[in-house]
Amino acid sequence: MTDVSLAVVLPLLGAFVLPLTRHGILRSLGPVIGPILLAACALILFAAWSAYDVPYAVALGSFAPPMGITFYIDDLALLFALAVPLTTLVLWPGESDPAATGRQSLTLLLAGSLTGLALSGDLFNVYVFYELAAVASYGLVVGDGRSPAYVAAFRYLMISALGSVVGLIGIAIIYFKTGTLNLADLSTLSGELADPQGLAAFAMLVIGFGVKAEAFPVNGWVPEVYGAVGKRVAALLAGLASKLAVLVIVRILILVFPHDETRQLLLVLGILGVAVGELAAWQARDIPRMLAWSSIGQLGVVFVAFSLPGKAGVIAGVTVAMHHLVVKSALFLLADRWDRAIESLKGAASTSRIGAALFVLFSLSLLGLPPLPGFWSKFLVLGGLAASASPLQLLAMGTILAGTVIEGAYLLRVVVTFYARPDAAVRVPGQRAGNLLGAGLFALVLLTAAVMINPLWQGLEVLAERAVDTNGYQHTVLGDREAGR
Amino acid sequence: MIGALDSLFLLALVAIPLSLLLATSRWGRWLLVAGYVIQFGLLVTMVSGSSPPSAVSFSLLGNDVGWQLDPLGWLFAMITVGAAGFAAAYASGEWGETHAAHGGSLRWLYGGLQINVLAMLLLLSSADFISLFIGWELTSWSGLILMLLAGGEAIRAALRYIVYAIAGGMAVFAAMLVTSAAVGSLQFDAVQAAVPSMSNGQLWAIALLFIAGFSVKMGTMPFHLWQAPAYAFSPGPASAFLGSISARMGMFAIALVAFRLIGVTQLDRLAIVPDWFDLRDLLAWIAVFTAILPTFVAMRQNDARLLLGWHGVGQGGYMLLGLVMADSLGSAGGLLHVFNHASYQAILLMAVFAVIHRTGTSDLNRLGGLVARMPLSFLAMLIGIIGLAGLPPMNGFVSKWMIYRALIIDGHPLLFVATVVSTLGTVLSVYKLLHNTFLGQLRLEHETVREAPWSMTVPMLLLCVVVFVTGVAPGLVLQYVAAAQQAIGLEPVAFILGGVEAGSGSLDMLWISAILFAGFGVGAVLFYLMGGRSRRVHQLDNYAGGHFLTADVQYQYSDNFYAGLMHRIKPWYRDTFAWTESALVSVLGIVSSAARGFFSQANPASWALVGTTVLMTWMMWHALA
Amino acid sequence: MSTSVGLVFFIGAIGLCVIGIAGIVLSRHLFRMVLALAIAEAGANLLLILAGYRWDAVAPIFTGTAGGQAMVDPVPQAMVLTAIVIGVGVQALALSLVIRIKERYGTLDMQEARQCMQDDLDDAGGVTPSRSRERPAGERPIPAPTVLNSTGGQHD
Repeated sequence: MTDVSLAVVLPLLGAFVLPLTRHGILRSLGPVIGPILLAACALILFAAWSAYDVPYAVALGSFAPPMGITFYIDDLALLFALAVPLTTLVLWPGESDPAATGRQSLTLLLAGSLTGLALSGDLFNVYVFYELAAVASYGLVVGDGRSPAYVAAFRYLMISALGSVVGLIGIAIIYFKTGTLNLADLSTLSGELADPQGLAAFAMLVIGFGVKAEAFPVNGWVPEVYGAVGKRVAALLAGLASKLAVLVIVRILILVFPHDETRQLLLVLGILGVAVGELAAWQARDIPRMLAWSSIGQLGVVFVAFSLPGKAGVIAGVTVAMHHLVVKSALFLLADRWDRAIESLKGAASTSRIGAALFVLFSLSLLGLPPLPGFWSKFLVLGGLAASASPLQLLAMGTILAGTVIEGAYLLRVVVTFYARPDAAVRVPGQRAGNLLGAGLFALVLLTAAVMINPLWQGLEVLAERAVDTNGYQHTVLGDREAGR
Repeated sequence: MIGALDSLFLLALVAIPLSLLLATSRWGRWLLVAGYVIQFGLLVTMVSGSSPPSAVSFSLLGNDVGWQLDPLGWLFAMITVGAAGFAAAYASGEWGETHAAHGGSLRWLYGGLQINVLAMLLLLSSADFISLFIGWELTSWSGLILMLLAGGEAIRAALRYIVYAIAGGMAVFAAMLVTSAAVGSLQFDAVQAAVPSMSNGQLWAIALLFIAGFSVKMGTMPFHLWQAPAYAFSPGPASAFLGSISARMGMFAIALVAFRLIGVTQLDRLAIVPDWFDLRDLLAWIAVFTAILPTFVAMRQNDARLLLGWHGVGQGGYMLLGLVMADSLGSAGGLLHVFNHASYQAILLMAVFAVIHRTGTSDLNRLGGLVARMPLSFLAMLIGIIGLAGLPPMNGFVSKWMIYRALIIDGHPLLFVATVVSTLGTVLSVYKLLHNTFLGQLRLEHETVREAPWSMTVPMLLLCVVVFVTGVAPGLVLQYVAAAQQAIGLEPVAFILGGVEAGSGSLDMLWISAILFAGFGVGAVLFYLMGGRSRRVHQLDNYAGGHFLTADVQYQYSDNFYAGLMHRIKPWYRDTFAWTESALVSVLGIVSSAARGFFSQANPASWALVGTTVLMTWMMWHALA
Repeated sequence: MSTSVGLVFFIGAIGLCVIGIAGIVLSRHLFRMVLALAIAEAGANLLLILAGYRWDAVAPIFTGTAGGQAMVDPVPQAMVLTAIVIGVGVQALALSLVIRIKERYGTLDMQEARQCMQDDLDDAGGVTPSRSRERPAGERPIPAPTVLNSTGGQHD
């Protein structure tokens, strides 16, 4: 039962050991430590998944909750926790330049902290892992030391640190009111947190954790950072880290603040995110920033999805989030060599057929062409929105649909440019084999999901049922069903 | 043993990779044409009433998805596969080789054609809203493949098309979800049963969203701007296929949703001005404006392909007009017009592309006098324009007659007059097409033009036979139209082999054609009795004003045709719709710049602070209120 | 007595936060933003400690004397220790970024640095810049105003 915490510990250990392999005897070991550790984490989580039956809690250090730190393992946590090492493996920075050890160390740090975010059941533990992931991402953003990356990293740091201060104040308010930071314990006290201070604390937590989740007022860093970093790092941040941050906000929403006002807050932030993201992307003239704004728009859809009450919200949200993880990571992989102005990529399809074809596939899935999974994710979100008569939700539905039309316009503009006749003067770079392999893997996942919609959906029903079962959560963590060390 | 529908799907699916593989060789292309013939044959075997549902059915996310072909879908499917077969035959010979020599991709032409056919079959045989939406989106996107093939000016038109198509698709999506929320199921039977118990507001939302979404594909106003350029600039056979049947998928969907699922009685609940103007009247007026305005836009066109493209938009208005009359005669006219229009639009587009193949231009101001050089193409175009104009003995006359009759019987004199104005425009416009291409003075550069190859003229002439036969004996098609009407819950038309039998006056084309040809026969007898005096003169042997005219001198001008009429109606062309479209795009650009401006903040954290303050104020206000 | 002292502490903590956040948002100088961040984090940490503070209690350390004495809540103090460490790490990283920005772009002004970053990104991507980087043609008709700028660097 303690195996699952190893999935958090191993990458952290690897991150600290890696710099030791820079010189000396261990030099040959350096490049393989990371992938081996990540594969080990994936295996541990797979084993936990196959042995998994009902949700359980792990008390670290044998300190019983609500005093100590708990890890809570249910379907939702396992799904996101499993996504972390797998995605990090596909997006692993495999270059062998001198700065590689540092980059790989930071990536392991990111992976470990994101897994911790998925599994954690205590608010301060979440904060610590979140800050760890943030610091790792600052380092990754700096990357190979290009000048704009420093400025972008600084600006990102400022927004993120401001968000963290606000989030810390929010945590302080919660502690003031309830005296505990254990999520299960807070869940039993959620009635006390329904007053103005409590809701203000939720708003602050959303600002705090929303920075990584590219939530609306705190997403100014996104286009600069994704434009300035290497695209594999951008894939990690946009694809993986943002989803885990959303997961944290959603857990807090479901367990501690299950009120209409908080859901409405997420809905409004989602609508604004979709509108701003898709509109800004329409005028994008280079690929990385277009993908950055598009990612803001899609995360807006994720927020809208999770704002739906009950099971429907969790199913819709998880579907959209997972779909975006696969598609956006793959698109950023394809943009690794093509990170330049769209006009200068005229005729890219003749240089790299597979790359252009994969780009078309992912664009079609983003736009929601049936039977690709993107269609089903939109179906679930919009179906949930249409089921209510509230004007705000109908506005959300209209915004998402209008956003899709705009998305079609700019994505197809790019596709058409790719397939145009190449300019004789401009040389379009081809794709690297590693990136194509990664994007191909993601495409395989996408197409498999397209075929296996039904079994996936049944699994998601169970996942959502358990995720919204707050009584079960409280009982598991605080009651007599926990499994301590 | 797999059913006929499943074998049809399977064949269409297998034919896609076959098309991609075989299209580059001549015998491969003929094989693909044979494939279309087999698909047509499979469809013919399904003609008797409702075929059994497809075995391909599954449950997705709690909804049942399945396919089944009813008579309405069968009618459209026949036209689809027929049009695709003729288009494939057209491209299989010399046209294909020339196209490939100029760098065109035959693989994607044939592959795209087959993908379109499969997508349309999926749409036409849908049994619930999810399969309908799957077919709808696949049709929209596969049309894009054909439009992008030509490159150049076609790209812009194709991009405009796909934005409209996505917008329409999203409207259909929204309608589908509202229906699901209101009814609880997406099966057609369940929706049909639940419609009477829906509130007026819900029914309005569903009806408007569906009809708007489907109208975008149909090209009815105000969503008509994309259609003509997008269809016109695709390569020849693709243009013929798209122009004849692609937009009519919207018509099928409107017939399905508005008439089969909602039904006329429920539709009449949706009144705009009670007892005087309801949704069907609105649709009728929209249809009639769609019939008039694009037709007069067509008259102004100087590119033959665009002229025909705009006529396609206009004729769609006729079909919708007939359908929304919802009586036996009008709706039969509308549905029959789908078939008729497909047949003569294909002929006309094929003839125009044959002229382009030989002369290299479709500019009506640079052609002329080709009648002696390309007589078969002339004959085909002549029959085509008689059909398009709606004159006997071709099939266009029958469907138009039925629509006029229905308008008069149902008491819509204004609509009738408007429709007649549109027909006037059509007649004038198609004569311009024929005259500028084939009549008038032959240009020097076209003196050595030969007739189009057999691979191109045979499909045209076969279609001419179809147009003529179904014009003389429209009952052949009307039996299927009547079955389709029954499938959507309208009263079937009382047809006879020669036309329609109605209490207020029947139409018997057999008699009319007989009298017409008897007239010609009498004239021919008189002519030959009087010695048959005719002399063959070379086309370039001309004499006027005391001079022998040489061919290099232009003495017959056919540009600025209808100069007087154009002068009169030119002030009416204010490009309002194009202006509205570009205004919308500009507004979008401004809002987009504002959204981008949000990200160009000097201090990274300023918006974060503003946002935090606003959020917290809002949350506390919420909690206190 | 303790409530008024507590109030002072609360106002102080919130005030520090406000000063810090205002500093981050309103400064143009990179170093000042880092300092403001430090102040804001100090304020937030103080707030967290106050959340667990009891006015008549001792530090939460077992000293071997007889129990029964009221202790302040140790949990927020542990959290604050963690938060301080995180804050120190982040501030150190921020400072190293400031040093690098000064090395590469030669300016510590946020607007200038941002403009340099955008120009570099546009150049790298081959995007034509959204505003011209060239000086206006010709001579100024009226002399430029003297700019009193203590952040270093004259702009014209």
